[in-house]
Amino acid sequence: MTSQTIRLTQTVKGAGCAAKLSPGDLDRALCGLDLPVDPNLLVGLDRADDAGVYRVSDDLALVQTIDFFPPMVDDPYSFGQIAAANALSDVYAMGGTPKTAMNIVAFPAKTMDLSVLRLVIEGGLDKMREAGVVLVGGHTVEDSELKYGLSVTGYIHPDRILTKRNLQCGDCLVLTKPIGTGIIATAIKAGLADQGVTERVTAAMATLNRAAAAIMQDFSVHACTDITGFGFLGHLAEMTVDSGYGVRIKAAQVPVYPEALEWAAMGLIPAGAYNNRSFRGSFVEFGAEVSQRMQDLLFDPQTSGGLLIAVAPGDAEQLVHALRTGGVEAAAIVGEVVAGPIDRIIVE
Amino acid sequence: MVNELDCRGLACPAPVLQVRDLLSSEAPDAIVVRVDNDAARQNVSRFLEHQNYQVRFEVQGNEFRVVGTKGEGGDAPVESSVPGSVKKLKSGTGKIMILVTSTHMGRGDDALGDMLMFNFLKTLKEMGPELWRVVFVNSGVSFTAEGSEAVPILQELVGNGVQVTACGACLAFFHILDKMKVGEVTNMLEIVTGMKDADSVVTV
Repeated sequence: MTSQTIRLTQTVKGAGCAAKLSPGDLDRALCGLDLPVDPNLLVGLDRADDAGVYRVSDDLALVQTIDFFPPMVDDPYSFGQIAAANALSDVYAMGGTPKTAMNIVAFPAKTMDLSVLRLVIEGGLDKMREAGVVLVGGHTVEDSELKYGLSVTGYIHPDRILTKRNLQCGDCLVLTKPIGTGIIATAIKAGLADQGVTERVTAAMATLNRAAAAIMQDFSVHACTDITGFGFLGHLAEMTVDSGYGVRIKAAQVPVYPEALEWAAMGLIPAGAYNNRSFRGSFVEFGAEVSQRMQDLLFDPQTSGGLLIAVAPGDAEQLVHALRTGGVEAAAIVGEVVAGPIDRIIVE
Repeated sequence: MVNELDCRGLACPAPVLQVRDLLSSEAPDAIVVRVDNDAARQNVSRFLEHQNYQVRFEVQGNEFRVVGTKGEGGDAPVESSVPGSVKKLKSGTGKIMILVTSTHMGRGDDALGDMLMFNFLKTLKEMGPELWRVVFVNSGVSFTAEGSEAVPILQELVGNGVQVTACGACLAFFHILDKMKVGEVTNMLEIVTGMKDADSVVTV
């Protein structure tokens, strides 16, 4: 549909398996736009990193990010916690410290009780407190469906920015949370997930990446990103493409929710997983031993997923040990950066 | 007996749940599920395979008919060899990449060339599962955009697992970036690495 004929009111749908605009569509919309240039803009749109970074002085830069989405769990307080943890994560992934935040809310006031909104924001505030972040304001619009998130601003030293684009040959890749939350959210929506798994995954999504980010500062980390809507392989592809190196992933080492594997085989896969695969699948080669359901899981869009850290090989074991003893129990080495084939991800 | 289920207009996971309910109440030997988006097609296919059905699908315009049939006592999901079924490409098989550089084929008469190119795209599927990727550059990108008669042909290729891509800079050059109807936007890096990864590259 062209922009002339589109009716915005007709584009709002409640389906929401894949809330994020498909990456191909986003590229299409942004391709060729004339972006403002500023020498102090250290990380901007052209590099498509987790957050933007703007230098204020030689020893201070601002990290800015925004993230919001419709609910993926039923409990309003948990949804608030998860949305806040997810938004804060982008600052942690850049190596920054979040300082202030603003609420972004879309709320269906005609059909939903205001107490729901209160609970959502309480959940968000709980995570902001935990992160040492102060809420400075917000903006609420009435909408047909609930959406919540944060715009976050943090500090970082301009020389200590961790982007996704600095892989070094031989680096080990460490992932800090299990994958499969998109598939599990689909199972929750389908009414197939029992209370146990729902609680476990809700708690994991509400967990800040703060501890993992603090621990990695003590090691020789070259690049980092957080795993969210584009899925494990989508975000890994962003690290790999144009790096001059290739990546080998050991599928069996990637931490997963076992329930998600079972539900993937049943076809409870969000549309976003297929979008991610058609956008980035051409960079990925699967060995014959990697099952279809594991492949689906590796493209599954994550909500508030873990950090994916590229660390010098000599530090990798110690980093994982420090993460596990520091409460990041799922942390594992999942692969390595190799000389070639360049720009390819081989999953075996 | 064949059961037909109309799941058009439903977002995931609703189609899978409807199929599940039908299977648990009637356990049919064959089932046809109509869906109108690719995610639902793949999810229903995975579910039926999981339930030991052989699965193939047909493309009808913007819709899909997913057909599941119970194999002869076969427990394991069997990869269907029916034309139009999902072809899973394994590394190591021959991968053919087609680079389409204009709207017409060959030099001489452009009207003839247009007809030949359209016929070429229509016949491409005969390459079978080795056809890996079709890349459109320069004026060739118009085949992927609104108004081209090739759009349904390319949609069928996509449905068969072929990657259809068009150069983003070229789409922008011809001002049809927002009119793209089929395939994904690509860039020169992906085109070049694709040439390296393909077993053969055919330029027309």
